[in-house]
This record gives sequence, C-alpha cells and structure tokens, in this order.
Amino acid sequence: MGRESEKNRIRQSHPVTYEARIEQIIERAPDTRSLFLRLPPSPPFSFIPGQFISCLLPLDGEPVIRPYSIASSPEEPELLEICLTLVSGGLGSRYLFERRIGAALRFTGPWGTFTLERPPAAECVFIAAGTGIVPIRPMLWRALQTASPYALRLHYAAAGRAYLLYADEFEHAAREHARFTFAPLLGGSLLECIRREYLVRDSDRGRYFYVCGVGNIVPELRDLLRRGGYEHRAVQYEKW
Amino acid sequence: MAKLRVLFENGSPEQVIEFDPAKAPFQPDGKPGSILDVVLGHGVHLEHACGGNCACTTCHVIVKAGTHYLSEAEESELDLLDKAPGLTPASRLGCQAVVQGDCEITVLVPRFTINAA
Repeated sequence: MGRESEKNRIRQSHPVTYEARIEQIIERAPDTRSLFLRLPPSPPFSFIPGQFISCLLPLDGEPVIRPYSIASSPEEPELLEICLTLVSGGLGSRYLFERRIGAALRFTGPWGTFTLERPPAAECVFIAAGTGIVPIRPMLWRALQTASPYALRLHYAAAGRAYLLYADEFEHAAREHARFTFAPLLGGSLLECIRREYLVRDSDRGRYFYVCGVGNIVPELRDLLRRGGYEHRAVQYEKW
Repeated sequence: MAKLRVLFENGSPEQVIEFDPAKAPFQPDGKPGSILDVVLGHGVHLEHACGGNCACTTCHVIVKAGTHYLSEAEESELDLLDKAPGLTPASRLGCQAVVQGDCEITVLVPRFTINAA
C-alpha cells in the first residue's frame, strides 16, 4: 500500500465489511491490551495515521458498533493493531477481552478525520491522555519519517509508569531523533503543563497541535489553545 | 408527540417516525433524543461509524424543516462538519442534534459519506 492510495476520497454509504482474525494479543498495561488483526488479502484495506475502525460486535443478537483507533502504521498493512482498555460495564471491551487468538472480528473502515498524512511545515505538538495515545502513535511515526527541520513533541499523560503505553518506543525515538522530545506526565495537571509550555513560555503561535484522549480534558485543551491565540485549524483533536 | 421525516438522497423510501421526545433515549448510541437516537431506536438505518461519539461525519444529515427545534451545534460538531462532504448551512450531525419538544422535523440523508482512505 503506497501513499498514493491514501488520498481522501468520498464514497457511498453501506461500507465494505472486513473480516479479520486475531493473530496476537499483547498485554500493554493493567486491563489494557493490543489485538493484532490479520486482514484478508481482499478487499484491500488502507488508512491514514490517526483513523479508526468500527467493529461490528455480535452483542444481544444485533451487531453493535464500537470504534477502535488503529495503533499500527499504514506501512504494516497486513496486521492491524488496535489497543483497548477493559471498561467497567463496557459490553464492547468485555466482548473483545474474551476473544482468543484465532477469533474472527468483523469491522468497517477506516473512519475518522483526525489524521496526519504529512506534517505541517511547523512545530508539531502531540498531546495524549491515557489511551488517547493510540491514534497519535502512527501519526507520530509518520511525522518522524518525514524529512523536516521542525520540532516534534509528545506530551503523554498517564496514571503511572505502568499505564504509559509504548513508552520504550517513544524513549528510543527521542534518543534517535534530535528533533523529537518525549514528555511523559505521570501525575499533575496536563492542562497546566500545556498552558505553561505553549501559552506562557513564549509568544510563538505558529505551532500545530494534535490532541486525543477520553472525556472533557480534550475540549478543555482545545479551548485553552484556541483562546490562547493558536489558529482554529491548527488545533486538531479527537475526544472519546 | 414529535414527527421526524427522513428522506434519502440515494432513493430509499422516506420514513416517518412519530415519537415522544420525553421517552429518549431509544437506544444507546448518540446523544439521547438526537436524530441518530430516534432513527436507530425506530428501526431506521443511519451510518454512525464512531458509535455516535461525535468523532466522524457518517451521520451527516441536512435539515430541511424544523431546524429551530434542534439543539444548537457545539464546537466539536461544527469542527467535524467542516470536514463533511456536501456541507450545507443546514448540515448537522445526527448524533449531536437533539430534537427538542413536540415538533415536526424533516432531514435528508446525503448520498455520500466521507472515508478518508
């Protein structure tokens, strides 16, 4: 799958349904695991970093739609990784946590407009809270593949070191790429951290932001940055 | 009672749903009492790839009548609508537009949805 196939296109409703098999399961953190889905050779599946798939889960006899961000990169086209947390009372996550290797999983996609195909010609700041790191991971890899003089920063808030997903990868990338800074936040206010770094420290308002997380922290960060002087479209976000 | 008339640009037959807004939610996806909630809860299909979480544009509808009976769009909805194909001044996301009170609303489901791949 080349990048030529990653152009936006519009299509008719009634999306194609894919049937994948779970090939591997990796525990990433307490109650958080990755499922690696082996895709069939056809129909072809391509996506842009940041997108999600909609799983069709057979709950209560009817297929119930549950979206999961793609954690892997388009450069790994045959094995798709989704990463999810077991949610108390969440029927979708419980169903998926009960699946074993070899189980079939039907989904449609890819979906979503929170994407990064090519990074903008400016400093990029990625902000993730909890499992909001999942769509940001392939976005960051895409940004790092692109020859560019602009700085890349990742602020990643988690409840503790054990909950910091892909931490080894990010630390390794920070050692390999001088322009990339990994800033985990284990405790403390993410909002205050971002305010201090990008509103108080300097008057540069030319940065681009990609924000993802669960709950109100996402619109709070959006509002903080937009009201703080960053361009409306320079602040992209996805709230789950 | 409220009445929701759903037209389909792809030629599917129109659907008319009569419902009591006070009885929302009618199913779990989208805001309670939203257009998505009403249609899904009454057996009418509307795409909602993100599960009605305001994270895609697949439930895009164009409001033909009764727009002032719908809840006001929030910034998250407007940001996503910016990326919807065939955007019109009357566009809404079905998962976010909540039907307020007894009224009559007509929406058109556009033929196309976005799939940025």
